[in-house]
Amino acid sequence: MVDPMRSIKTLAPKVVVDSGQLHWVPHFIDFSQWPTLCKDETRTIPSPQMAHYVAPLRGDAARGRVIAMDPWRGNCVTCHEIPGEEWPGTFGASLHHYKQRRHTDANLYQQIFDVRITAPRAVMPPFGPLGILSDQEIRDLVAYLQSLE
Amino acid sequence: MRILIIMLALFLLPAWADEPHKEYTSAEPFLPHVSGDDHLTGTYRYWKDPKNLDMRLAGSPDQSWKLNWKHLDYPFNKEMHAGHLALDRGLTLFNKLNRSGTFKNCLVMYRFNGPYETSLRGLRTHYPAFRTDLGRVVGLEEVIEHCAKLEGEVLQNGSYDNSAVSIYVASHSLGMPIKIDVSSGPLRESWRRGERLFHQKVGRNNMSCASCHVGRIGQSLRATVVTSPYGDVAHYPVYRDRFGITSLQVRFAQCSLDLGFNALKPGSQAYNDLEVFLTALTNGYPVSVPSERP
Ligand code: HEC
Ligand code: HEC
Repeated sequence: MVDPMRSIKTLAPKVVVDSGQLHWVPHFIDFSQWPTLCKDETRTIPSPQMAHYVAPLRGDAARGRVIAMDPWRGNCVTCHEIPGEEWPGTFGASLHHYKQRRHTDANLYQQIFDVRITAPRAVMPPFGPLGILSDQEIRDLVAYLQSLE
Repeated sequence: MRILIIMLALFLLPAWADEPHKEYTSAEPFLPHVSGDDHLTGTYRYWKDPKNLDMRLAGSPDQSWKLNWKHLDYPFNKEMHAGHLALDRGLTLFNKLNRSGTFKNCLVMYRFNGPYETSLRGLRTHYPAFRTDLGRVVGLEEVIEHCAKLEGEVLQNGSYDNSAVSIYVASHSLGMPIKIDVSSGPLRESWRRGERLFHQKVGRNNMSCASCHVGRIGQSLRATVVTSPYGDVAHYPVYRDRFGITSLQVRFAQCSLDLGFNALKPGSQAYNDLEVFLTALTNGYPVSVPSERP
């Protein structure tokens, strides 16, 4: 899933037995662009933003599924159960049978774009303002969720 | 009330006045003593006395987390695990580093304001501490790195050898309660910074430490159940099956990657502040090494 051409500057610590050096190895995904807890950090997270969703949806459910599984893009699967995925995360709700929740496309779009607008204490990352997902990618994800019978 | 004070502090303190947009998970009323858990998870009564844990809980997969994994500590866990090997290695390294006696002196000095101390006994329970020679608040592993350097050896903070010496030093404080004083001075400032860092949302996932360690207690994440953040520091450095001997700050680095930001180096100020914060949450709980955790 990870594109080997993308450069990975994010390193994970690796403890090597009987060594006085702490080793660092490439992580499976790069986080360099995101703010850290470092005391000199100047980058910040964007304020809550209203999405400008315009119907019709024009999303592609198959593409949406790929995005949901892609750690560099939606990465939804690290937090949500998604049909057909063996080791999903359980941080957010299961997305099985999501269509049955009968959310409008516009609401779902806002949920993925930036849920802090309606739920200020929400934990889910605001994919729109963070610049992780494009308008079309969010549309594809909405189409995918609306296809989960 | 507490939240109000924090919000006020946010607006009043000049250092933060020009801060750009930051978000915090709402702050819990954390107390600098392990009994503060009563206000958070209410599980303290189950693991309060490490010698008398309720083993019925330990036998139940969906209840065992209430023991804060303390049933994985000695005397319940009598297994030989890699933590014991590290302890042996720590003894060997310590003796080698301390041939002239100066390594130990370096570790124990600046320990109390009172009489000069010469023993390793109780040393673990007093770190992190403010060291006048280093001019800042540092954890035990950073001091080990510093003192080894004075002996001409490299024992990087977080490395196996550093943690091995740290486990050896901690073994002289077995059963002694962690005891750091965050009521005044540099440690108080560090505790307050640590508390804020613990609640600050960062990284690709826009989470804070508290998103998981407060918001998800008792739930399964990454194949293990999140337990109370109180009482955790007593068993560090710890042996973890998948990651080997793990110092507290290497654990921070691993959790940082879960949040989705580049791990900081052990010994960075932010990690030291988090260490002070979490160590204060372990105040009053006895040291237990070598230990094992999932
Ligand atoms: C870092 C973890 C995380 C990631 C990554 C994540 N979510 Fe979520 N999501 C949550 C949480 C937690 C909630 C519950 C509400 C809250 O607190 O934000 C949630 C809620 C939701 C909901 C509403 C659920 C309901 O009950 O109606 C939907 C839909 C959703 N997420 C879709 C997605 C999609 C699509 C992606 C990938 C683009 C994604 N999530 C990525 C954590 C995450
Ligand atoms: C995505 C969820 C998540 C986030 C965010 C997170 N952690 Fe963790 N952390 C865990 C899990 C799961 C464990 C293992 C279960 C446990 O011990 O509670 C753990 C364990 C730990 C431990 C070891 C506890 C022990 O008893 O040995 C420490 C220390 C820790 N985390 C610190 C932090 C710090 C500091 C942060 C913020 C920089 C953080 N964590 C953010 C999920 C998280």
